[in-house]
Amino acid sequence: MNKPFSPASTYDVLRQHGIDRRDFLQFCITTAAAMGLDAAMVPQVVSAMETKPRIPVIWLHGLECTCCSESFIRSSHPIAQDIVLNMISLDYDDTLQAAAGFQVEEIRQKLIKEHPGGYLLAVEGNAPTADGGVYCTVGGNTFLNVLMETAEHAKAIIAWGSCASNGCVQAARPNPTGAKPIHELISGKPIINVPGCPPIAEVMTGVLTYILTFDELPELDRIGRPKMFYGQRIHDKCYRRAFFDAGQFVEAWDDEGARKGWCLYKMGCRGPTTYNSCSNMKWNGGVSFPIGSGHGCIGCSEANFWDNGPFYQRLSSVVVPGIEATPDKIGAVLGVATAIGVGAHLTATVAHRLSRKPITDKDQPTADKTEQE
Amino acid sequence: MANVVRLFDPKQLEGHPEKFFRQAYIWELPVRLTHWVTGISIIVLFLTGLYIGHPILAPAGEPANHFVMGRVREVHFAAALIFIVSFLFRIYWFWVGNNYARSGFPYIWRAAWWREVVGEVIEYLKLRRGRAYLGHNALGGASYTFFIVLLGWFEIFTGLALYSEVNPGGPLDRLFGWVIPLIGGSYKTHMYHHLVAWAFPVFVLMHVYVVLYDAVTLGNGLVGSMISGHKFYQREDVQDDK
Repeated sequence: MNKPFSPASTYDVLRQHGIDRRDFLQFCITTAAAMGLDAAMVPQVVSAMETKPRIPVIWLHGLECTCCSESFIRSSHPIAQDIVLNMISLDYDDTLQAAAGFQVEEIRQKLIKEHPGGYLLAVEGNAPTADGGVYCTVGGNTFLNVLMETAEHAKAIIAWGSCASNGCVQAARPNPTGAKPIHELISGKPIINVPGCPPIAEVMTGVLTYILTFDELPELDRIGRPKMFYGQRIHDKCYRRAFFDAGQFVEAWDDEGARKGWCLYKMGCRGPTTYNSCSNMKWNGGVSFPIGSGHGCIGCSEANFWDNGPFYQRLSSVVVPGIEATPDKIGAVLGVATAIGVGAHLTATVAHRLSRKPITDKDQPTADKTEQE
Repeated sequence: MANVVRLFDPKQLEGHPEKFFRQAYIWELPVRLTHWVTGISIIVLFLTGLYIGHPILAPAGEPANHFVMGRVREVHFAAALIFIVSFLFRIYWFWVGNNYARSGFPYIWRAAWWREVVGEVIEYLKLRRGRAYLGHNALGGASYTFFIVLLGWFEIFTGLALYSEVNPGGPLDRLFGWVIPLIGGSYKTHMYHHLVAWAFPVFVLMHVYVVLYDAVTLGNGLVGSMISGHKFYQREDVQDDK
C-alpha cells in the first residue's frame, strides 16, 4: 500500500469502476434519500461527490466485539461496498485490512503524519483506563495510547456503537477495567456518538455519507448523537403504539395479548426510554426489528443500559448504595413505615388521654377577673 | 404527671383572660385555594402515575376502540399542569401575601431555627400540646419545604423533561430536555420520577395526621381555617408567634 490516500473524488472512482453518469446520479439520489434529504438537496450531493476528494479514514478497534463492523458491512442503502471502496478512503482498519503486524501500524503513523487534521477517526469500542490501560493492547501499545495519538490530529471522531459512545457492557458496574467512552477521554475535537449495540447499518453509512457530502458533522443532540437518527424514541414510532394508548399489554410471553401483538411495555420493553431508529428504519434492509419479532427493546443505544436492571421488568431496581429494590417496593416500605409511625403516635396519644389524671389544682386556672372581647 | 396531653378543655379558660380565644384572618384566599388545588392534584397525579407504571385494566377488542392508557396519561399531564400553575402561584404569593404566607420558612442557617425544629419534634414525641402558632410552625414549614417545594421541583423538572420527549426539539424540550442527560438517560429519569412520587403519600399521611392532632390539642380551628381562613388563638399563643 504505497498510496494509502487517493485524492480522487467519489465520481472519479466510480467512473474507474465503469459506472456511467446515469447510475452515478441514481446513486446520489438514493444516498440523499437515505439521509432524509429533500430532493432539492440532490445537486449538492452530486457536486460533493464529483468534486470533493475522498476523506481518509482510520478505523480503530478497542474494547469491543466487532458487532458494529458486522452491522456496517451489511448496510444496504447505500451498500457498505460503495462507502468503503468509493466514498471514503478506508486506509486503516485492523479488522478488515489484508495487511498485518508492523506494516499496519506504519500505515497509521504515516497517515497521521501526512494528513494532520485531514482524516476522520472512527472508533469502535472504548479504552480501558485502569492500571495504565493494560487491559487492551494493540501491537504492544495500549489502546488508550493509540487512541490519544490518533485522535490528536483527527479532523473529527466518530464513536461507533454503545462502547465508544457510552461505555456499554465493559463499562457496566463495577467496570473493573475502568473502560470509558470516547467523549470522556478526548476533548477539543468534534465527536459524533452513534450508539447502539450495534448501531443500525444504514445509520452508520448514513452518518458517513452525510459527513462526506457536506464536509461537516450532521446536527447533533445534547449528547452528541445525530438528530436525524436519534431524534425520537422507538416508542413514538412503534407500530404497536396503538396498543399502548388503548391499554392493551402483553402480560406473559405466551398469553393471548402476545399472540395478538399487543404492547410489550409491561414485559420491560425499553422503547419508551430509548432513542433510536429501529422502529422506522428497522434492521437487515428493513426486514424487522426486536419489537416486530415479539421481543421488547432492551434499550441498547441508551447510556448504561446494562445497569438498568432486568430487561423483562418495567421499572427495575434503584441502585442506591446499600439498597437494591424497585421504586414501588421502596415507596411501599416508606408508606407503611409512616403509617406505623402515625399509628403509634395516635395510639400513644389516646392511651395517655385515657390514663391521664384529673386536672390538678396546679393545672386548674385559679379564679380571676374575666375579660370579654 | 407532667406529660399529660393537654387537649382543649373549656374548663381551663375560667378566669384566665390570657387563655380566651380570639379570631384572626390567617390564610388569604390564594393560600387556601393553592393548598386545596395542590392537594387534589397531588392525589390525582399519584394515582394516575401508579396506573401508568402498572396499567392493570386490559380492554378487549380492537385498539382503535379504546384509549385507556392514553386517557390516564392525559389526566396525569393535565393534573401536572394544574399542579405547576398552583405551585408557581403559591411561590408568587409567598412574596406578595401576608406574613402568614411566608410563615414556616426554613432558616436552615440559623441555630435558633434548628432549636425550634428539634424542640417541636420533642414536644410531638412527648405528646405535649406544644406551642401554638398563627402561621406554620418551624417543623411544619420544614416538611412543606422539603416534601412539596424541593421534591415538587424535582417532580416538575423530571416530569416536564419526560413530557417533552414526545416532541423532540419543541419548546419544552429546549427548556427541560437537559434534565434527562443530567440524570443519566430517559430510563433513570422515569425511575427517579416514579421513586420520588412515593414521598407524596408519605407526606400526606404525616401532614393529615399532624394537622388533626394539632387541631385537637390546640383547639384552634385549624381544619376549618383551611376553608375559611380564620384561625382561633389564645393570647398567650401569640407571644411565640413569629
